[in-house]
Formats: sequence, structure tokens, C-alpha cells
Amino acid sequence: MSEESKNGTGEVPGGIHRRRFLRDGARAAALTGLGGLLALAVERSAGAGTVWQIDPQKCVRCGNCATHCVLEQSAVKCVQAYGICGYCQLCTGFFEPAPNDLNTGAENCLCPTAAIQRSFVEDPYYEYTIDERLCIGCAKCVEGCTRFGNGSLFLQIRHDRCLNCNECAISKVCAGDAFRRVPAAHPYLLKTTSPF
Amino acid sequence: MKNRSQNITRRVFLRRGAGGAGWLALGGISLAGAAQRNVNPFAYDLQRVSKTDPKLVSYEPAGRFACPGPGPRRLAVGPEDHLYIAGRNGVSVVDGEGRRLEEIALGAPARCVAVAAEGTVYVGLRDHVEVFDPKGRRLAAWESPGKKVWLTGLAVAGTEVFVADAGNRVVLHYEASGKLAGRIGEKDKERHIPGLIVPSPYLDVKTGRDGLLRVNNPGRHSVEVYSVQGDLESSWGKATASIDGFCGCCNPVGLALLADGRCVTCEKGLPRVKIYSARGVFESVVAGPESFPENARAGALQDRSDGLLGGLDAAVDSQGRIYVLDLVGGDVRLMRSKA
Repeated sequence: MSEESKNGTGEVPGGIHRRRFLRDGARAAALTGLGGLLALAVERSAGAGTVWQIDPQKCVRCGNCATHCVLEQSAVKCVQAYGICGYCQLCTGFFEPAPNDLNTGAENCLCPTAAIQRSFVEDPYYEYTIDERLCIGCAKCVEGCTRFGNGSLFLQIRHDRCLNCNECAISKVCAGDAFRRVPAAHPYLLKTTSPF
Repeated sequence: MKNRSQNITRRVFLRRGAGGAGWLALGGISLAGAAQRNVNPFAYDLQRVSKTDPKLVSYEPAGRFACPGPGPRRLAVGPEDHLYIAGRNGVSVVDGEGRRLEEIALGAPARCVAVAAEGTVYVGLRDHVEVFDPKGRRLAAWESPGKKVWLTGLAVAGTEVFVADAGNRVVLHYEASGKLAGRIGEKDKERHIPGLIVPSPYLDVKTGRDGLLRVNNPGRHSVEVYSVQGDLESSWGKATASIDGFCGCCNPVGLALLADGRCVTCEKGLPRVKIYSARGVFESVVAGPESFPENARAGALQDRSDGLLGGLDAAVDSQGRIYVLDLVGGDVRLMRSKA
């Protein structure tokens, strides 16, 4: 830059002063940073406001919930909608498709971890309860119940266990595209339709 | 002179061969890995019971047509072997080849239907029965019998109408005028009636030429035979996925009677139609699960995840042919005896 081009204020004709340039630059940087922080805060707030959940109407019982969760034991558990359950003596969610007998012998039971408890109510009704400590979310019982029965057994992500990963590992492999984010205030997608 | 440029040396041949084998091996490993990744280690295995022994199949397809209306639930055969199909919009009347003859439109889904010998049509809606003349004009709408009513089956014999109420686990006996005459199938220790177990809305009733009623008891995997007065005469059936019994938690879901008293049963889950003797001895298969692939997958279909829309129904025409209604496929198959 030639000497003639400078005036008394140090401004360059047709250009801007270096001090102003630095000041404006600092302001712009500060505003950009603030905007970024704000966006991050909004994003984090939105992330905290939603959680992953399985839409039971879309679930195809592919078995991936048991094998793809980042936790050692999946955060996905089978849940029982008692209002829909038929309390069947021969529960196809509890028994193998062709059981030798209707008792709790391991060879007759469907669940690989014996997570379903069967208790007598009155002839011929039985109640089926899920022990979530044992359930691995394999959906074998869900398939049996849905195929033959009322579909009262279904999978849900339990939020006392779920880490709410940004990108849920199961959602990436879910065969039914059943995973979606739901408001944390309403974290479960429950079945409510009674058969009657 | 021999042109060596068009031939390859042994070394080149061996090198290329080894390279090719290597690629093939890599491809094989990759395919095997992909196949292994797609295998569900927790699969619900029905392979063993999903195939029907061809020697047991005594009927063959003789026709097939789509139901004219959506959401078919039950079917009945009326005069002139016309078919009456209860569905979401009402009752469709079709001939044996599926041509629409009449439509009885209703404001609510028709869940069951029966037709008297003279053509009067009885239609079960969720909580009451409506009566129509042969031209489809409404004659009467009967009062709802009470709370929790969920009608799923109808039969008519002369001037008596029998209505299966799955919600209250009872068969209601009506006079043709609509007057309630009795209740059949309710648990009664003194009459040695164990009671109907109906986990899902599939209770059916049919009347035989012997004057007795056949009622399915799905929770007990049996068919029960009642007199019109409500006495339990006999029952038969067993719970098993094998072909001679009733599979799943609650089957059979539909009944039809052949002229000689033999019983046609329909199952859901493993969709199959079978014939039992009048005494309840398994005789043969009309159609096995392989005939209804879509119905067999009912639980896997989106928006049909409760299995409540699965299942089959059947009706017998004057020639002894069996019409099978596929609730999921929305079509009717005509099956005729191979004999």
C-alpha cells in the first residue's frame, strides 16, 4: 500500500481501518460463538426432551433388540398389557409352539431366560408376568402372543436403563423401522386396544 | 507357426486360477457372514407344524375371488347357494363365482350373518342383531342384550336364532320375533357346563340337521355340542399344534357343518381348515397353512399386530363344497372334495 493512499485517520480510502476491522471481526466472532452456544443449548435441550421408544404397531420381532443394544443386557424389555391379555391356560407367549405338557418345565417354555412367571388365577386362567431383571428383549414371547393371541406382550425401551444415545444402535438395524423419538414427558407407546 | 501370444503359460494359468479361487473364497465368506447376520437367533419356530402332509388333504381349490367389500369377518350360504359376507360396510351378497348380487349397507360393521331357508337375513352388529328381508330391506333391529356385548357368530334354524356373544361368553337363543328365549354355554356346575373361554372375539355357533348346536370353545380348544335347551351333550377337541388338534392359545375360531354332521373347523395363527367326524375324530385337511401365506403372517403385518384380524371362516353349500373366507387376504376360496 502506498503512502499517498493513507489519510490522517489511518483509514484507507475505499477500505476500512485496521482497528475497526479487528473490532468488527471480534464482534462478529463473539456473535457467532454466542449463536453457536445458543444452538448447542437448544439442541441439548431438545435431546433431553425426547427419548427413544419402540412403536409396538411396527415391531416385527426381529430379535435385534436383544443383540444390538450398547448395554450388556438390552434396555428393551417385554411388557404385558393386562387389559388385553386373555390369561390363557395355553399361552403361546409362554409355551413352546408344541409343548410336551402345560407345565413350567424348561423344555416346554419359550423364553430363553425364564423371564416370564406363570401363576394360577382360577380355572382355567393364568397370569403371566415379566421379570425385567431376566428379560433380554428377544421378542420370542411377543411373536408367540401376537401370532396366536391378543398381542398383549410387546417390547418397550425401559428408561431406567436406556442411555438415550444420540444414535441408538438398535434403531439402526431395526427391521421394522419401529424406533422413534418421543417426548420424554410421554416416554412409552403402550398398547391399549382391548380385544373387546 | 504357433502364436504363443494367444496361449497362456502354466505359471500364468496357476496364478490366475489361485487368484480366482481366492476371490471366490472371499465372496463366500462375505455371503456367509451376511447370512449369519440376518439370522434371528430367537426366531419363533413353526417350521415343523407349518407343512401339511399332502396325503391328509382331501379337498382341492375350485375357485377364488376377492370379497366385494373391505374387512370381511364371517360368511354364510343362503338360498340358491348365494354367499353372504359380513364386512366393514355391511353384508355383500354374491354368487358362487363372486359376482355381486346385493349389498346390505349398514351404519356400522357387520360382524356375523346367517340366512334362513326362506331368505330372511340376520346380521350381527357389535351389540345387536338386525333383520332384513331377502331384498335387503330392514325388518327389525333387536334390542341389545346387555353390556359388554360383542357378537361374532350367528345361526338360524327354522324360527329360532342363535347368537354368539363373545364379550359375555354365551350363546343367546332368540325367537324369530327377537324375544330372548335362553342362554347357552354359561358356566353351570349343576348342569356340568364348564363355561366358554373366549380370549379374543371369535365365538361361533352352527345348527346341525340333528337339531343340535355346535359351539366352539376356543380357550378350551374344543367344540361343544348343545341341545337347544342348553344342555351340554358332548365336547371334543384337544390342544396341540399337530394336525389332529387345535393350535395356539385359542382355537378353533370358526365352524361349518357338512350335511352328514361332520364338522369343518377353522384356525388362526396356523391358518388351517380341517374336517372332523360328527364325534370329533380328525378326518382330513381342507386347506393347510401353506394355502394362506398372508394370513399366517398376520401378526407380522403393520397395523395388524394384534392377530385380532387374522383367522378364517367357512361355510358349506348345498353340494357339499366348502367356501373358505380369508380375513387377512380378503378373499374367498371354493374348495371341492377330491373324491
